[in-house]
Amino acid sequence: MRETQDVPIRHLIPVEFLEPNWRFWSFVFISILGSILIAEYRVPVYDGLTDPFYTPTVLILPLVVLFRLTCYAYRKDYHRHLFYHPNSCPSDKRIDNAGRIYTGETGFFRIENIHRYFMYTAWAILPFFYYDIYYSTVYSGSLTVTLGTIILTINAVAVTFYTFSCHSVRHLIGGYRDCTNCPVNKNSKNLIYRFQSKLNSHHEAIAWTSLIMFVFVDLFIRGMVAGIVPNIILIHRGF
Amino acid sequence: MEKVTVSVFRRDPEVDSEGRFVDYEIPVEEGMVVLDAVKYIERHVDPTLSIRWNCMAGKCGSCSAEINNRPSLMCKTRIDSIKGGKIKVSPMAAYPLIKDLVTDVSENWELLRKIPPFTPREGIDKPWRISQVDIERSKEFKKCIECFLCQDVCHVIREHHSGYFGPRHIVKAASLDMHPLDSLDRSEFLNKDAGMGYCNITKCCTEVCPEEIRITDNAIIPEKERVANISYDPLAMLIRSLKKGRREK
Repeated sequence: MRETQDVPIRHLIPVEFLEPNWRFWSFVFISILGSILIAEYRVPVYDGLTDPFYTPTVLILPLVVLFRLTCYAYRKDYHRHLFYHPNSCPSDKRIDNAGRIYTGETGFFRIENIHRYFMYTAWAILPFFYYDIYYSTVYSGSLTVTLGTIILTINAVAVTFYTFSCHSVRHLIGGYRDCTNCPVNKNSKNLIYRFQSKLNSHHEAIAWTSLIMFVFVDLFIRGMVAGIVPNIILIHRGF
Repeated sequence: MEKVTVSVFRRDPEVDSEGRFVDYEIPVEEGMVVLDAVKYIERHVDPTLSIRWNCMAGKCGSCSAEINNRPSLMCKTRIDSIKGGKIKVSPMAAYPLIKDLVTDVSENWELLRKIPPFTPREGIDKPWRISQVDIERSKEFKKCIECFLCQDVCHVIREHHSGYFGPRHIVKAASLDMHPLDSLDRSEFLNKDAGMGYCNITKCCTEVCPEEIRITDNAIIPEKERVANISYDPLAMLIRSLKKGRREK
């Protein structure tokens, strides 16, 4: 804990540079969101690849979407850049004002409080990412490692880090306790909690990396099946 | 000598119905902070300018203001760190104005009094001994200097008067809640009486905190998770009632 608390919050780009440009960042956020929706919505069914919108996969999609939507990291982004509550912390013009209805998380957004249940479903879905990696290496009947395998692996790792750096995990593995080492000198260091806290401090960056990766993988696979993107074979060995 | 123009908000509520920004030209010295510039105005240009300051070292939390709309401590903001050359200094907008850059933050003392105080667990041998690993979480919040910049930047307090106590007070409650020897759980109080549900995790408070306390990640979210435990998570509620039943047997 000491290491994470004493290190000043580092920003890749200084806040002073980002904040006055809230209009720009709102544009970026809405553009990314729009691109994801367009990319994921109803593409033609290619040979051998069924679109998630026409299979039972579509049933788990709301759970994944709700896990992301109720995530503490994304809440900041959509409340700031989409709803302008507030548009930015310091700004020349504060769009948020007393005249706009605001209920925070006491009205509709009360649903944020059950974030942990969507997290549990995310845990259940996680093994399938790894199954995909396994399947991508054996589908041809011999051991094959392709560019797709590497991309699937990076995606699976990003999603795993995202899922386990969650604030709800932090609460479950020790955040709820006030005392881990009582009475003193039990030599309990609470290492898992401390490690997870370190990961958690980068939750936002991990969240965006994994979301962009997620869409990229989807587009890669569709492109590959359509024959637009080549799937380079790196290792090919018979059993 | 190099000069800089500082635009300072001026208003005496007893005389002026509205405030105005007055430009002052100040000679720049190396390492100068905004508070130096404002003090220079008070000493050499206009002694009627009201400012509140004390330690000049970022530890008393007195010189809170908005510099180019960003809530900051005047003593921790160097003139040469402000890009664009324009320096606009105004009082904290979330609080009633007393005069010029001085605001009345006394409502915070009333709010702090409402938070249930430290209540040690019964039957602990004295002297109290606490392991370092356990005190660290609570200790981070003790760095708070009560500058109320987090309160000022919070849109819930500033624009929506919904009864939310604000980040400073959640930090105070969290410092007591996470104290290893404290017996109370204040999350229910924070949710019902302190309006914590109005916080939408936009992290502005964390961004402006001069003590770099990770207010949202380490105080507000853990408290919100505790609220979820008590009021929204049926599984946690069931486990708690089973444990309680076993204890009573």
